[in-house]
Amino acid sequence: MAKGNHEKIRGRPHNLLEHYQPIDGVVDEMVDASGNPRPVWTNFIEALENLGPEKLAQRFARADQYLRDAGVYYRVYDKAGANEREWPLAHVPLLIEEQEWADISAGLVQRAELFEETIADIYGPNRLIEKGILPAGLIAASPEYLRPVVGIRPASGHFLHFCAFELGRGPDGRWWVLGDRTQAPSGAGFALENRVATTRALSDIYGEMHVHRLAGFFRRFRDALNGMAKGSGGRVAILTPGPLNETYYEHAYIARYLGIMLLEGEDLTVSGGRLMVRTVSGLMPVSVLWRRLDAAFADPLELRPDSQIGTPGLVEAIRRGAVSAVNALGSGLMETRALFAFLPKISRELRNEELLLPSVATWWCGRDTERAHVLANIDRMVIGPALSTRLAFEDDESTRLGSALSAGERAELIAQIERDGGDFVGQEAVTLSTTPVYVGGWLEPRPASLRVYLARTPEGWTVMPGGFARVGFSLDPTALAMQRGGQAADVWVVSDRPVERETLLPQEHDSFTRSMPGSLPSRSAENLTWLGRYIERSEDTVRILRAYHVRLAEASDPDMPLLADIRDYLEPFGIDTATAIPLGLIGTLDSAVYSAGQIRDRFSPDGWLALKDLSKTIHQFATTVAPGDDATRAMTVILRKLAGFSGLLHENMYRFTGWRFLEIGRRLERGIQIARTLARLTRAAAPDGALDMMLEIGDSVMTHRRQYPVQAGRRTVIDLLVLDPLNPRSILFQLERLKAEIALLPSVGGEGHMSPAAKEILQLNTAIAIKEPSDMTAKALDDLADEIGGLYNSLAKAYFG
Amino acid sequence: MLYDIRLNLRYDYDAAAGGGRHQVHVLPPTISGVQRVIAASLSFAPSPSERSDFSDFFGNSVTSIAFRDVHDALDIRMSARVAVSRPEPGLDVSPDIPRLRVELDAVRSLSPDTPHHFLAASDHAGVDAAITSYAQGSAGRSVVGTAMDLCSRIHRDFTYDGKATTVRTRASDAFSLKRGVCQDFSHIMIAGLRGLGVPAGYVSGFLRTIPPRGKPRLEGADAMHAWVKVWCGRDTGWQEFDPTNGMRASNDHITVGHGRDYSDVAPIVGVLKTTGGQVGEQAVDVIPVVLEKT
Repeated sequence: MAKGNHEKIRGRPHNLLEHYQPIDGVVDEMVDASGNPRPVWTNFIEALENLGPEKLAQRFARADQYLRDAGVYYRVYDKAGANEREWPLAHVPLLIEEQEWADISAGLVQRAELFEETIADIYGPNRLIEKGILPAGLIAASPEYLRPVVGIRPASGHFLHFCAFELGRGPDGRWWVLGDRTQAPSGAGFALENRVATTRALSDIYGEMHVHRLAGFFRRFRDALNGMAKGSGGRVAILTPGPLNETYYEHAYIARYLGIMLLEGEDLTVSGGRLMVRTVSGLMPVSVLWRRLDAAFADPLELRPDSQIGTPGLVEAIRRGAVSAVNALGSGLMETRALFAFLPKISRELRNEELLLPSVATWWCGRDTERAHVLANIDRMVIGPALSTRLAFEDDESTRLGSALSAGERAELIAQIERDGGDFVGQEAVTLSTTPVYVGGWLEPRPASLRVYLARTPEGWTVMPGGFARVGFSLDPTALAMQRGGQAADVWVVSDRPVERETLLPQEHDSFTRSMPGSLPSRSAENLTWLGRYIERSEDTVRILRAYHVRLAEASDPDMPLLADIRDYLEPFGIDTATAIPLGLIGTLDSAVYSAGQIRDRFSPDGWLALKDLSKTIHQFATTVAPGDDATRAMTVILRKLAGFSGLLHENMYRFTGWRFLEIGRRLERGIQIARTLARLTRAAAPDGALDMMLEIGDSVMTHRRQYPVQAGRRTVIDLLVLDPLNPRSILFQLERLKAEIALLPSVGGEGHMSPAAKEILQLNTAIAIKEPSDMTAKALDDLADEIGGLYNSLAKAYFG
Repeated sequence: MLYDIRLNLRYDYDAAAGGGRHQVHVLPPTISGVQRVIAASLSFAPSPSERSDFSDFFGNSVTSIAFRDVHDALDIRMSARVAVSRPEPGLDVSPDIPRLRVELDAVRSLSPDTPHHFLAASDHAGVDAAITSYAQGSAGRSVVGTAMDLCSRIHRDFTYDGKATTVRTRASDAFSLKRGVCQDFSHIMIAGLRGLGVPAGYVSGFLRTIPPRGKPRLEGADAMHAWVKVWCGRDTGWQEFDPTNGMRASNDHITVGHGRDYSDVAPIVGVLKTTGGQVGEQAVDVIPVVLEKT
């Protein structure tokens, strides 16, 4: 930095730029060549400086807190396996001036149009190949060239609907396209979360600067998807590879944000040439599929036969024009690295235009002249596989920097290129521009690339005014990839005038219809039911364990008859009372988290957070808590957190089919658990104190005291915990709830017919309602538990098959 | 030659299969200059709840079937009358391999029979250093000469063994075993030729077997067969070789389908929803038809 600037900025309250040292010969986004902040950054830096280091630290912590609270994560695959990692937000946004953004947008819209025409030609008339502009051998060798879809015109009329482009700014100050994402671009949802988090930290600054909003982009694309489905009788769905995918969080987030069904391959089936989703109301047609999985995995019948996540027959449904895939199967071909080399010619041929935004200079070594050029300039090149669809800087296994090779490696690579030139491309090694990150009270430059999203609407391509920047942790430009420890920054497109504020909420002039969320996928229903069951099972277990440990703390003799009886009762369920937090209990709660993780799109972030917190607590207790008094307190904490989670669901979940299955799972499990525990503790041979303990487990001590002016006897305990319809812990109460909810489930076997499950619950409910306490022997209670359990099977057969 | 061909595929499932969707590639097509299909039929038991027929990318006939109901067996029967008449191989005017590369680059097409589809490694027939090095032993002649030599060497060097491999075995594994069946030998030859830069594909079909002198032809004793097609340059085009028998494809070879390897033309593909295993049986009859002169 020039000395003069130091003079100029000294005296500010907190000089953030004091240590800012851009690299020689590299463009910096924030300061120009002489070290002066660019105009778009001036106010922003001043505002940060006015906040001062302490406030700034607090503000950035607020953004991190938001991301943790929202549960934003992505999955990282490393040697230790797959792990969820918190989203690495770089707090300082990348600022881009509106006019420059307009140029980027125009270049990318042109590129998207060009890609559409190119892909349509490759899967259609093949003029580019006939004219020798594209080499046939290159396309034919690509694993992304999907022969089963050759010749199919997409039902929507277009191959591409949603694309992303990775850009970098070179030393000449121009933006270059580093990579194209046309298969199933990820990250748009993360961009939105970045924005929310960043504005949490910098809301006042954001409010004062004229930053373009993101919501309108998503609204337009949602409307476009709904428009595509209109008239077809089918619905829109997002297809995800499932919770193990690295960006599943985002799939669930987008589904929730846009109100679109999130499906996995097994939720779908093809019937009569149409794509259908299995729901609790039967098969429902899907006519627009926004796929987040790679095309090759979409249909094991015609594409990769080893795919476990596809839908057999999907290609056939597409061939018949019954469904539009977003993007069309086969579109991933446009990500092929070698295609860069041909784009300028293709653009001239198809559109008679020069590219507004150049790609990073690329030479395909399958042709003599280009091969010779690459070999002659190998030290300035990045050499990689021609057919790779990965971004060069993410592909450290097979992409190598010519200048970094040893003499031996270099000779070997040259020999390979000379032999199998068609397998390689050479690309100019690019130096990325740097953007500021906040490190320990100062701003420091880090290399960055920019990801921008485009969506097709009936009016043409729309560009997300923002996106996200990937920022390196070090000055090494190859360490950008998120999988290897890069961070992500929000991108602010700044105008000098006030910008339009858009929201996803319907505007006043929009017509308003309430669409009922009618079709719950069967798999989601099953997961919701089990979530309800696991949560309830955890609670019931914790109640028993608390009653156990209270008594253990007083008696300190685990062989006392009542304690020994409980120990023997719990043991077959994998609950070992010798440990304060038994493995069986942890397992049940882990199962609840797993079930919930399968249906993240149906959860509010609060609900998910409460569940994760519960899980964290119990795992932590497992290592610290001792039996007896300590365990009693721990169980109380767990019960309180369970109640918090249940309360969130109960108070916040929309009362429709999804909630109904959750509720049914809960009531089923509580009915079973109460019946079994009662059978044990009210049996003739039950030890002393068992009835009091039962009341405690059934959370009914107070009620009992008020209702019955006598000591707990078998009759009164049974009356209160089995037959009292007003006690929310009684079996009859569970049956009444089950009867009500099952009656409201979608009908199976035709309107007006009672489903088998509805008949069963009606019978059971009636039978119990007219019982006397003396009828409820231990055996009758055990049978009742079995019958309630049998209800699950009838429901599963009708709704989860 | 005129043939009546009957094929019976049968699958018995350990546990009843609840629905399922399959694609079946067993119907021989008419191929100009090779064979003409006079009549053909394909039936399934139980009867599928959905059925549709279409041609795939390579022009093979595909029948797509789906079952909604539970079934514990699937029986597929195909019968066809096919007239085969292949031209006699003419004088070898095929180029050598360096020249073939130049001719290949000049092919500006992605139409289904274009050689470009058959050069890159495919799932079953990946390019493998050991196989390429073996194939090198046949190089240095015309493409037809190379293919014929490789075909004869595979016939000579490998042992036919129905138990050594499965339908999922890859060329590289069969190559190290030095044994296998027609599918494996074809994959090895394809991988070898691709390694040399010669486009090669997989042909599935039937082969008439001639019973030993004086013995009657056993019914259903024949099996489905596989051999190799090789692109021998602009003028010679595609030629077919049978490495299992060390010969060129003849009028005894009746084609059902062709593709990059077995997975493009597997007789049946599809996912069965069953927890148990499945057992498949295959019976083929290829009966020469002698039309009496009238």
